[in-house]
Amino acid sequence: MNCAQASRLMHEYFDGDLAHEDASELKAHLGGCPECRERFNDYERTEGFLHMALAAPVGRTEADRAALTDRILKSVPGRRSRRLARWLRQYPGVTVAAMLGLVLLASFIASWEQDQELVVRGSDLSQIVIEGNKVVVPEGARVDGDLIIENGEAVVVGEIRGNLTVIDGSVNMASTAKVIGEAREINQALDWIWYKLRSTVIDLAS
Amino acid sequence: MIPIEARLARKALKGDQQAFAEIVGLYQDKLYHMAFRMLGSRQEAEDVVQEAFLRVYRNLDRYDEGMKFSTWIYRIATNLCIDRLRKRKATYSLDAESTEHEGLDGYAVIPSDDRTPESEMLLSETQRIVRQAIDTLPAKYKSVMVLRYLHDLSLQEIGEVLDMPVTTVKTRVHRGREYLRKKLERKL
Ligand SMILES: [Zn+2]
Repeated sequence: MNCAQASRLMHEYFDGDLAHEDASELKAHLGGCPECRERFNDYERTEGFLHMALAAPVGRTEADRAALTDRILKSVPGRRSRRLARWLRQYPGVTVAAMLGLVLLASFIASWEQDQELVVRGSDLSQIVIEGNKVVVPEGARVDGDLIIENGEAVVVGEIRGNLTVIDGSVNMASTAKVIGEAREINQALDWIWYKLRSTVIDLAS
Repeated sequence: MIPIEARLARKALKGDQQAFAEIVGLYQDKLYHMAFRMLGSRQEAEDVVQEAFLRVYRNLDRYDEGMKFSTWIYRIATNLCIDRLRKRKATYSLDAESTEHEGLDGYAVIPSDDRTPESEMLLSETQRIVRQAIDTLPAKYKSVMVLRYLHDLSLQEIGEVLDMPVTTVKTRVHRGREYLRKKLERKL
């Protein structure tokens, strides 16, 4: 056995892994090699120092302990939020879908904003008159169903038997106008959503 | 029979705060001791312990009962310590010139700040020198040595904690031991 081999076995010995037959060979080498014997003693000392230095008590008081316990228990979330967190983790698809939906909606609205063209949608557009960006429901006319107008002005003189939704436009109701459903203008809200979404998307991208 | 920690973990998972408090009671000292030896700072050790328990709590449902609870919790805490040591090194290696203390990888190693004066006083000169030598070890060696000599973990267990093959652990223990032997030979 040479000294390098002996050194390797010494490490095995201090790891507590030295096989029996290797132990006797090492012992024989140490018997005849003063350098390795000295090295062995050094390792032994180092081991002792390491145990002593690392395992020595750290000088913590009971109060330190209690304070840290308190801090830890206060920092863990309550029961309800952990359930939500677990649920979200169990169904990561939900989070992804929500994120994706957000991004899609944002880009959808972005293209929508650029597109200033008048859009009129509804199940019954037969009696509607379009003048420039004005969408007129004339006197005596009746729209059966919902009417959605984008980027235009709704001028209602007749009757709408459904909801009227005007996006990015305005509503002008005559005194004779009659809307069975709900009349809504949502450009304000849209601006706000758009603003919120845009900042969210920018946050995500950065 | 289910080990006590696994039983507590199951209860805590169901929302039993008392069970979680018991886990904290069982492991707080062990984690603190380890973190303090790794980081040398009381404040940082406490932060790491808090963060470790928070992670334990958040991941209770992922705890695999096939693994010893201690292995799992040591893994969480050790990783947090290693992260901190690395960040610290990254910060300090920006100031060049400090070639006086050199670790195994040749990185400049900084002496840790805010050590607790009262616990420092308990240390003999020998302990101080040994501690300083240990502090110059790079994070990956330090974590192995702390687990080995503080918690008396077997090389196998250290491998499980650090999620690395036992041969790697062995190499690190050997190099760490060799490094410290040389370092201390001249001083003690
Ligand atoms: Zn020899």
